[in-house]
Amino acid sequence: MTTPKRPLLAPDKVKIYLALVPYLAERGQVSVADAAADFDVTPDAMRRMVEKLTVMGLPGEDGYWQLDQDLFNINWDLLDAEDIIELTNTVALRRAPRLTAREAAALLSGLRLVQSLPGIDDDGAVSALISKLSLGSSTSPADVIVAPAAADVVRATVADGIRAGKAISFTYQAPDAEATTRMVDPVKVHVTSGEWYLQGWCHLRHAMRTFHLARVSDVSVTDEPITHGADSVPELFDLSDEDQIGTIRFPADVASLLGEFLTHADQETVGRITVAHLRISDPRTLKRLAARRGGQVEVLAPTTARTTAHEWARRALEQYTDITAT
Amino acid sequence: MAETIPPEERLTNLVVALMATEIGITKHQILESVSGYRQRVEAGAKPDALEKMFERDKDDLRALGIPIETIGDYADPNDLREARYRIPQAEYDLPVNITFTPAELAVLTLASSVWREGSQSADARTGLRKVQSLGIDVDEPIIGFAPRLDFASPSFSAFQEAIERDAIVSFSYLKPGETSATLRRAQPLALIDVENRWHIFAHDADANAERTFLLSRVVGDVRATGEAGSAALRADAGERGLAGLRDLLERQSAHLEVHPGSEAALRLSSRMTSTGQGFDVHYLDEAIFAEELSSYGPEVRVVSPPSLRAAVIARLQATLAAHEGEVTP
Repeated sequence: MTTPKRPLLAPDKVKIYLALVPYLAERGQVSVADAAADFDVTPDAMRRMVEKLTVMGLPGEDGYWQLDQDLFNINWDLLDAEDIIELTNTVALRRAPRLTAREAAALLSGLRLVQSLPGIDDDGAVSALISKLSLGSSTSPADVIVAPAAADVVRATVADGIRAGKAISFTYQAPDAEATTRMVDPVKVHVTSGEWYLQGWCHLRHAMRTFHLARVSDVSVTDEPITHGADSVPELFDLSDEDQIGTIRFPADVASLLGEFLTHADQETVGRITVAHLRISDPRTLKRLAARRGGQVEVLAPTTARTTAHEWARRALEQYTDITAT
Repeated sequence: MAETIPPEERLTNLVVALMATEIGITKHQILESVSGYRQRVEAGAKPDALEKMFERDKDDLRALGIPIETIGDYADPNDLREARYRIPQAEYDLPVNITFTPAELAVLTLASSVWREGSQSADARTGLRKVQSLGIDVDEPIIGFAPRLDFASPSFSAFQEAIERDAIVSFSYLKPGETSATLRRAQPLALIDVENRWHIFAHDADANAERTFLLSRVVGDVRATGEAGSAALRADAGERGLAGLRDLLERQSAHLEVHPGSEAALRLSSRMTSTGQGFDVHYLDEAIFAEELSSYGPEVRVVSPPSLRAAVIARLQATLAAHEGEVTP
């Protein structure tokens, strides 16, 4: 995962030192690049931190300057010549600190989600990890729980295909379109906001495609080995190929409820009202968003999308005219 | 003028010094000997300022989860002038009897990647690093899966912190259908993601009973009340809250007519049970379910309960009204 490297504050650096010393002590020799990657800092920052380590250590006796054996030390020649870090004197911190309640909670909730992936907890490994992390925490972590998803044959079969490195075949029902039969080299399953998506090479479209697993049925693993598994996978909600634009208007504070609709959208907020131009394969499908938000989201353009939204609500309401209006 | 030692060096030196002592060292000894303080003493810094710095440093380290023990005067435990400080090795170290297999580390690595952003993401990575520093061989990473968790609300962290501190907090809560939020006082006990929404399971201090709140309905800041709750309430809170939500799901059921082959039929399929005439679908929250059903438009007709039916009709009427005629500026 790539995250922007923000400047580290003093407590962040202390955290790194406390984990870096046991990490280096355990490994013997580690390249600057590897250590930098493992600690999510730049190689330059890692090198500076290691160099600084050599002026840290135990307090001097009775106010005298610290002696060499009181300080951490490194193999300077190896660092200068080969960019390799080796601790040659360790005065404390040989063992990693316990996890803080926060760290344990963040990992525990991650484990709860990972547990729901098919095939990962078959031997109870995740449950064992959950109890180990709780034991390794300094204070009791907050319960941050992800309710397990129900067993799902589509998800399980797709996961089987990924593990086996075999193409899968399934029926795909895109929104407001005819169902199609697809043969796909499965590459990656994304689980986001509770929805499951498969990214893979589609033999029908000859390109990487994203499939919403809720729209997949009749799935089976074929005997066909995957051939496009190493191809680069696009962003999950890559809408740059969509050439249609739909325009919607909504109160600015509703934006957080629109989520993925607004990725790649051009937005302008005047006062407390936002107008957004969305890339979308068929703007008429905005009727569903408009009805979901019950009048808060208004479809402005194109006109066909606006009349479709109106028609959508009108036809829905027709179903209720048989009984006295509430 | 002595060279300035950066704070991270001073803090790390302090940890090393406090871990190296069995009987503890006094504040005076620390200021005189630990590198980072010592140079400031030598440069003539005011004792008051240095003592304040030491107090802040202790707070910073405790915030990192480092157990700093204060050993006071036996005769007068409140007199901290001669107090000694230490970090007990046994409480600091990741317990030696905890070991991880390469396969477990691979699972943990995947688990550490689920938080998309925010402090949870940083905490998960720091936690993983501590485990990695145990020098476990690394298995093949688990590829092919990218699970993500989102909390999308700044109050998530505030509630998590309140849980850890057993603290009672106050927050404004806006119920669906109400126009103004009400102020609630509660001790949060667990955060629970069910059906992709975060719930706060809490002990409501005013009602003196356990209640579940939807995170998305918390308006504005979560404030500390200064009142302490009870740590005992946290026992099995997650499981209790989850069981409560499951009971609620079991109790609430809607009767629907769904057009076969439609988008609604597809999206509801895993939740529907056929009743011969139409389908029953269980739901957790009426307002949220009404939003979903409204989006299906003419593909779904709500038969019962009347309140859900009315909520869907109201949404559809508002949608109809919003799209009448030409666009008005």
